Amino acid sequence: MSLKESTQKPKTNKFVNNYLGIILLLLLVAVIWAIFKILAPGNFGSPDKMLSYLQSSLIYAVGGCGLYFICVMGLFDFSIGANVVLSSILACVFAQKFGYAGLILVPIICGTLIGLLNGIVYIKLHIPSMIVTVGLALIYESLSVFATQGQEQILQSANCAFGTYPANLILALCAFFLTALIIKYTKIGTYTYAIGSNEYVAKNMGVSVNKYKVVAFVLCGFFVGVMSILTISYGTSMTAASSLSSMGRNFTPLMGTFFGLAFRKYGKPITAIVIGEFIISMIFNGFVAIGAPSTVQNVVTGAALLLIVMVTTKPVKGIVVK
Amino acid sequence: MEEVILRAENVNKSFGITHAVKDVTLPFNKGEIRGLIGENGSGKSTLMSMLLGIYSIDSGKFILDGKELNVNNQVEANRNGVSIIVQEMGTLSGLTVAENIFLGNEDRFVKFGIKNTTAMNREAQALLDKYGFNRIDATMMIDNYDFEDRKLIEIVKATYFDPKVLVIDETTTALSQSGRDELYKHMNRIRDEGNTVIFISHDLAEVIKYTNSISVLRDGVLIDTVQSSDVTEDDLKKLMVGRVLDDRYYRTDYGEAVSDDVVLSVKNVSVPGEIKNMSFELHKGEILGIGGLSECGMHEVGKAVFGASYDRTGEVTLADGTPINSITTAIKHSIAYASKDRDNESLVINDSISDNICLPSMDSLRVNNILLNKHLNEFANKYAKLISVKMVDVNQFVSDLSGGNKQKVVLARWIGKNSDIVVLDSPTRGIDVKVKADIYALMSEMKKQGKSIIVISEEIMELLGMCDRILVMKDGALSGEFMRSPTLTEEDFIAKMV
Repeated sequence: MSLKESTQKPKTNKFVNNYLGIILLLLLVAVIWAIFKILAPGNFGSPDKMLSYLQSSLIYAVGGCGLYFICVMGLFDFSIGANVVLSSILACVFAQKFGYAGLILVPIICGTLIGLLNGIVYIKLHIPSMIVTVGLALIYESLSVFATQGQEQILQSANCAFGTYPANLILALCAFFLTALIIKYTKIGTYTYAIGSNEYVAKNMGVSVNKYKVVAFVLCGFFVGVMSILTISYGTSMTAASSLSSMGRNFTPLMGTFFGLAFRKYGKPITAIVIGEFIISMIFNGFVAIGAPSTVQNVVTGAALLLIVMVTTKPVKGIVVK
Repeated sequence: MEEVILRAENVNKSFGITHAVKDVTLPFNKGEIRGLIGENGSGKSTLMSMLLGIYSIDSGKFILDGKELNVNNQVEANRNGVSIIVQEMGTLSGLTVAENIFLGNEDRFVKFGIKNTTAMNREAQALLDKYGFNRIDATMMIDNYDFEDRKLIEIVKATYFDPKVLVIDETTTALSQSGRDELYKHMNRIRDEGNTVIFISHDLAEVIKYTNSISVLRDGVLIDTVQSSDVTEDDLKKLMVGRVLDDRYYRTDYGEAVSDDVVLSVKNVSVPGEIKNMSFELHKGEILGIGGLSECGMHEVGKAVFGASYDRTGEVTLADGTPINSITTAIKHSIAYASKDRDNESLVINDSISDNICLPSMDSLRVNNILLNKHLNEFANKYAKLISVKMVDVNQFVSDLSGGNKQKVVLARWIGKNSDIVVLDSPTRGIDVKVKADIYALMSEMKKQGKSIIVISEEIMELLGMCDRILVMKDGALSGEFMRSPTLTEEDFIAKMV
């Protein structure tokens, strides 16, 4: 009897492990839908509208996947906004000459190179990743200004397939599956978690900590490159950024990443990022639907970000937070 | 003739001025369980850390199976047939059980960059089943298991590849009886297969019972290796101690009465995971020592008294009944605290000596609410000179000073604050003999002025030499109390702490 109990116990845990997180998130989706539906019955939540919320959330979820590799290690990348701006602008320029090949390859290459640079500078300078990436973001923004001379770049309508269903969904799904594959089925995934859990122990186990930190930045850059394809295709135009005006683009992907971190213990972080971004998209659109001014949306973004981070990070008592 | 599998040859290691392992030459035989014992800081863990590549070796070498062992981390050590079960948590959160077992060794499951997670899980589960831990599921996150189960997983991780040498570093204290039995079972199995186990423990009865031979270290020096069947616990304790009080440094007075006035009382104080139900009183003009093994919770007692513990329960009160529940109230009521972790918890390293000394006394140094550098420097200079801090001037940065002089800055700060109750945690840790003597003299001087001192120390001789009364702690609780006496020996003390 006791043996049977002890062999069965993990099974129930396993079910909880696998599906409870997703169920909780879907419940949250339902609750938020219901709230805004009651507040703005005419303007919110029809099937068509839900699809359009999903469309924008897919873009951010791809970026959130990239950022996940960074945040699991306890690092940050605040250059992804600048990366998106620069990659999208280059995508526009090259799409004019090479069509879809330019639209797809150029932002991925650009994004990945930016990730590589972020990683190398972070490792070599031994300063916090947040500072490194903000500093570099200013440089990437300036490059975007040099590249365009301040002109708005417009993507020709012939190259806009990734801005609508089904191409955007297919590309995003590819990115999600790739992330999940890397996390679950490669050494990179294991080592990323190991470094995030205890860098010292990981080092002792022969994990090359610096190498895998650079790898994480490269992966982040790669997925931000994919995000750039979706961003420019959806918005069809991009203006160069300066003075950290790209900063605002960092937070929506970051919020999804934190959903992933919070629900990681249920074993499906990528699903959590996607549903998390959808929830955030619903809330933004919900406020638009009830007619709240856009400043209120910024308040909501800021408060939601703080709330999510507070819930997902459990600092050790007495630890110095800077 | 027994066959030697591993030999340490003239191994040395120093940390700053502390010579932690001194010229140790020690052979280990094939097919034996060897106990390794010694009190705090005797060098057992340092020696083993060098074997595993966690610390570098200053000089000397380890020879395994006739070849010099040259490893830089645990995984490389594993590949050479040496593994360890560590004292603290050796598994990583956020990974599955299987990922933890094979961490650093994933390559055998990787083909074309893709890890065969199914095969890895299957193999991990097969190992767990083989060890009789089939209630542990290899695919689960390790966070779902408690400390004890995680230690069992570490046993699998450290032994599944049949290491030639397995080091077990003080693991048993964390385990319940059934967990210990599992561990003993696998120790015996490894020995019976012709391999070697090095077993570090403070539980001497356990060491005698489960080992074939025992090596004793003291102050980084190998004292002796004895057959377990020939010795008693008392014999081992005798080998572990052996130093005599050196009255050149310590107090020489005995039998002076301590005042009956209680200045601080600690009642039923507990801190989760650290100390359990501690109660004691501190008298006026008393030097009260607290000692025990490094992990016995004594360092937390200092924090608890200073109001710096988290989740503390119970009461710390002054003579007039004032409760001390926060650092600010503690300082306000003349309590001082010097942490064991001098650089991180006591000093503002990247700041001047002057600022460090004046920090808690700023209020009294204000003139019309203005702080003048002149006043701060005069104040700092006065107290730094008083206890002869070696410095260029008070504007020198603390980061430039030696360990001993840093500690003097900490003491100058609290003397300047004129604190009546002074808690000193490991006041002479990593400090050379000359400054040590200065600090002891200072403590005697403070005692004369009627100040009360709590000294928390891992050095038994220091406690015996300086304290009016010594509390001994074991596993977070009080386990004994000694009054100052010339006949009190290290041995009496060790009997209560292990």
